Amino acid sequence: MLELRSVSKHFSGIPAVDDVTFSARPGEVTGYLGPNGSGKSTTMKMITGLIELTSGHIYFQGKPIQDDLIAYKRHMGYVPEEPYLYNHLSGAEYLTMVAQLRELPAKQSSERIDGLLRLLSLYDDRHAAISGYSKGMRQKVLIAAALMHNPELVLLDEPFSGLDVSSALVLRSLIQELAARGKVVLFSSHELDTVERVCSRVVILHRGKIVADDSIERLRSLMELPTLEAIFSQLAVEQDTQSMARQIADLIHA
Amino acid sequence: MPESMHKLAELLPLQFRVLYRQFLLRVVDLESLSIQADIPRFLGQFASILIFISLIGAMGPLMSHEALTATPAAALSFAWRGEQSLISGMMLVVGLVAVISWDSTFPDRRDVMVLSPLPVAPRTILFAKVAASAALLGLAVLTLNFATGITWPLLIGSQHDSNWGFFQSFAAYWVTMVGASLFLFCSVLTVQGFTALLLPRRVFLRISAILQIGAFGLFLGVYFLQPSITTPAALALPENHWVLAWSPCFWFFALFNQLNSSLPVAFAWLAGRAWIGLAVVVSGAMVSLLLCYLRTMKETVEEPDLVPGARGSHWTPGFGSPLQTAIALFSLRSLMRSRQHRLAFAFYLALTCSIALSVLRSDLSYAARGRLNPDFLTATFLMMSFTVFGLRSVFSLPISLTANWVWRVTQIRPSEKYLAGTRKSLLCFALIPILLLSAALSFPFRPLTQVAAHLAVLAVVGWTLVELSLVGFYKVPFTCSYLPGRVHVQVLFWCFMLLVTVLALSTAEVEMPALNEPLRYAGSMVVLIALALALCIFNRHRAKSAVLHFEELPPDVITTLGLVWIEPSISQAQTTARHNRLNPS
Repeated sequence: MLELRSVSKHFSGIPAVDDVTFSARPGEVTGYLGPNGSGKSTTMKMITGLIELTSGHIYFQGKPIQDDLIAYKRHMGYVPEEPYLYNHLSGAEYLTMVAQLRELPAKQSSERIDGLLRLLSLYDDRHAAISGYSKGMRQKVLIAAALMHNPELVLLDEPFSGLDVSSALVLRSLIQELAARGKVVLFSSHELDTVERVCSRVVILHRGKIVADDSIERLRSLMELPTLEAIFSQLAVEQDTQSMARQIADLIHA
Repeated sequence: MPESMHKLAELLPLQFRVLYRQFLLRVVDLESLSIQADIPRFLGQFASILIFISLIGAMGPLMSHEALTATPAAALSFAWRGEQSLISGMMLVVGLVAVISWDSTFPDRRDVMVLSPLPVAPRTILFAKVAASAALLGLAVLTLNFATGITWPLLIGSQHDSNWGFFQSFAAYWVTMVGASLFLFCSVLTVQGFTALLLPRRVFLRISAILQIGAFGLFLGVYFLQPSITTPAALALPENHWVLAWSPCFWFFALFNQLNSSLPVAFAWLAGRAWIGLAVVVSGAMVSLLLCYLRTMKETVEEPDLVPGARGSHWTPGFGSPLQTAIALFSLRSLMRSRQHRLAFAFYLALTCSIALSVLRSDLSYAARGRLNPDFLTATFLMMSFTVFGLRSVFSLPISLTANWVWRVTQIRPSEKYLAGTRKSLLCFALIPILLLSAALSFPFRPLTQVAAHLAVLAVVGWTLVELSLVGFYKVPFTCSYLPGRVHVQVLFWCFMLLVTVLALSTAEVEMPALNEPLRYAGSMVVLIALALALCIFNRHRAKSAVLHFEELPPDVITTLGLVWIEPSISQAQTTARHNRLNPS
């Protein structure tokens, strides 16, 4: 299980994440939602160990991750929000490098890389430079790199970004399959329809603080709202969206 | 800008002005300089350096009164040496300008994709590009000759009998300098343009990068290796005919003297070559540019986004453990595929090649006698030093800071293992190639036992240099941020190279007699190996407690933009805490 206890992160004294406490359990997909700038990606980066906590603790399988970050990283797979890759490498070279960095045996990594590239429809372009890849192809490389070592904790930050419809459907099923196989899956996305279909629980973040942490069913009945979108709008959206759209249309029409 | 200039500029079409401004800001190859280079600042610094060089060059005539008044022959020799030095310096600077502004005169994919949907005629783009390149070239010519363009015509003009001597020399000087600059810049454009026209676009893009490196090496090599011919008698020697006939520097030297009415009639053909060469390359550049704009823009639009990789075998060599292989291959691929890194390393390689070429030249005379000599030993030490420290310096330039997260997320081993990978990369890509090159260069020498003994010394010296360059370097190559403003790094490098040159000279002096005395040689080797081993043990020991650096500055300073004072004790405590987490053992 992944647990965050009173986790805070301040940048120059300004809180980006403020006293966040929640847990993600094996066998279920936990959705992590929030508007832009609410602190989702900062939390994800703290969970991966990329940035340090200002205060609080993160536990994985009952142990603080900071105690042995190296051992923790062996069990973690991470798809970042932005598809930042080394553009001068090819897809196959990048995945091989990640496999070597993760100490996967050469034969096993070669089989897994080939398999993942085929299943993700990247095999024909595996020797082309990543600089020429589309956003969806880059996203697939990130997904393959995050999963090739069979991690117990899967952190997905906007994993559907740039994917075409069929790839998105495959990924949606894959996320559920990973959870069914006992992995801890923490999934951050702006696509509320997908979150509603995939996640068993959601944590909603607003201005760095948690405003909801429950199953979608319970939230629906508690708030008497029909959809996750409606719940999210009530908890985390401050603007009158229709009025803003009207103002934009008026501006360009003037 | 003065009001009159402003009004004049407004006469030009708005589209041209907007594009010219944009192209001028991109005229320098950003990728070659730094991932986020600041072009206006770069141009300012570039101009200041050239003005500084010009001021130093201008001191020559002022400080050499004695040489000028001794004899007419001495005065002529001094003037000719100065003229050749100024012309070759001008051509080197223009060559470097052509290298750093590589491809900028031709439309690239970004230009085509951004400008094609807009109502802009291709000729407007062409004129704006040419104007931006001409502005950079003009800046280089004007600033480099800022002071020398007055003092040297004054000096040379004083040799004339007429009162108009200064004006004739002044005109000759500027016509020659502008002509030499145009010749070199247009030569590069012609080669680029016709390569682009003759080859398929994908092949051209690959060849273009090699051409850029080749041109860079050629300009540096010619500058360092070209002889100076300072007397009419030397000019007439048959062995100098070849260099006179094929070196554009001497063509423009002759052109200057022709315009200055000081060229011996027998060498008018050299000045003729300058005029013909200039006409050929200017026409070539214009034709190739026009054709490129008519053809390349259309081809670029039709080009697919995804360029397929090379077919055939994709075998990759192993470099030890998987981690060491990952680091070595990442280093090699970054070095081969990133233009910025390739060009930076090419600078050091060009120095190495210049030394190798000069060795080859002197080898011919020594080889006849078949003896190993101190010059050869010094040259091999210098080649090793330039390559090791050059590669180490290039390792500090990041390739993609945003993609570095993958190293942090996958760091499942202690830092020392990563640093061992860095060491192996340096050994494989700097030490071993130079050892092989030195072995090839030493082929004419005998006895072979002495050659082998020297190569063994060179290997140990190379190992020592590798260890020395890794002291305090706790980074995976190409992954740590770099602060271009840290000028002291470059100053430190050149001071270090000066020290290395002195050491190379003295090591060669010590080694030469030791090669004939086995006991002395064995003693020297023991000392050298002990030094290398001590450095290696020191580095490995320090690596055990090191934390890999991905940022040149501590994160606290980056997030606060250095505006908040941070207690050193807090930063130190955070570093220690981070280290303890990463190295639990």
